[in-house]
Amino acid sequence: MCALCGVFLTEAHWTDSSPSPPGSSVRTRRHERQHRVALANRILKHYGFKISDWQGNAYLLSAATGQTAVLPNVAAVWPAAEQLRKRTLDPLDPDLIEALERD
Amino acid sequence: MASESTIAAGNPIPVNVITGFLGSGKTTLLQRLLRSPGMSRTVVLINELGEIGLDHLLVERVDEALVLLQNGCICCSIRDDLKSALRGLLSRREREQIPAFDRVVIETTGLADPGPVLYTLLGEPVVRHSFRLGNVVTTVDALNADLHLSRNPEGVKQVAAADRLVITKTDLADAAQIAAVRDMLSRTNPSAEILDAAQIGFDADRVLVEQTRDLTPLMRFRPHVGEPEPAADSTRGLQHNASVASLSLALDEPLDWTAFGIWLSLLLHRHGDNVLRVKGILRVQDAAAPVFINAVQHIVHPPQHLERWPTADQRSRIVFITRGIEHALLARSLAAFSRNRVGAPTPEAA
Repeated sequence: MCALCGVFLTEAHWTDSSPSPPGSSVRTRRHERQHRVALANRILKHYGFKISDWQGNAYLLSAATGQTAVLPNVAAVWPAAEQLRKRTLDPLDPDLIEALERD
Repeated sequence: MASESTIAAGNPIPVNVITGFLGSGKTTLLQRLLRSPGMSRTVVLINELGEIGLDHLLVERVDEALVLLQNGCICCSIRDDLKSALRGLLSRREREQIPAFDRVVIETTGLADPGPVLYTLLGEPVVRHSFRLGNVVTTVDALNADLHLSRNPEGVKQVAAADRLVITKTDLADAAQIAAVRDMLSRTNPSAEILDAAQIGFDADRVLVEQTRDLTPLMRFRPHVGEPEPAADSTRGLQHNASVASLSLALDEPLDWTAFGIWLSLLLHRHGDNVLRVKGILRVQDAAAPVFINAVQHIVHPPQHLERWPTADQRSRIVFITRGIEHALLARSLAAFSRNRVGAPTPEAA
């Protein structure tokens, strides 16, 4: 629930919630996770990382250096990536925004 | 008021938080609300038992004891006193030591950061199962708003966290003072309804409104992207907190909810201390009904699916209340990641 701490407080993190009311989603859970991975990688590739789905219930964060970490949700990826590379990830970083705009 | 249907077994009990700076009239407001007929099954949790002088059956004292988590994030601290008080209420109700109740009102101290109160409601497992946030009501003294907000960061956080802002002591202020305070509050927190305490009477229904039924301010604001306007003399209270400002965005295209969630989680991870509030109603792809979002600093409430749009305007509308963040960059970042055009100025909605 806490975006800073990445503390796993609920059964499902809010970023894992569906845009549709229960029972009416047009995407399967697997499809939704693949979509989430692809979107997060738009940001992560700028910093030399990528994530992949890990057995359908976690995410595997990989650095270009070969370091890895398994995280329960996308919100937990950001502090883990910063910990691995000692570099901050910032959505207001003009270089990142420019890269996203070129995508 | 909570209807019988909303308090049936399995439905969490609404908790309303009344906050506001020292001497801003929280207790007076609470005393008046408790005279509303529908409030007879309400438990009140307060810090100072002696001050309130309430002839109310269920008044409990709490001590505002914070339990800091190891990460040191202040807003995400469990209020141990609240946790114990709320769990104790459930236990005593179960043993029939106290009457059944269908609402809890928490009056915080004037210096309280509302973050830990909200975090306790969302983060403590037993509390989360049995209670839910009703809304946050913040009192602002018409005579001393300038002083309170200029000197106390907690006062600004209380205004930012509010769903309803109640201007108090309006009987002692002149029309220009009241208008200035109203203007300052509406620019600081455009997502909150602003009420005059003198006009509320004893009508608790006007104040303790469910968040998801309180969407008028969100649908009414005039979207803009820009830096904080220079404060006029009448609003000099925020000159001392000049970096606090609101950004109201309207998005023309449906949002990819997953993309928005990823973006917001990174924004709050990096800048959560300075994102005092995010509140919005979102039009998301692949869903006919809107999604309501609400975050106070790092604390994100679970997104809620609404049954329908409250007005004919079906654009996403989001308010950010920030401190020291360049708004043009924030809007550009959201647009770049969501691939959505944001912030086009539009006429004020009806």
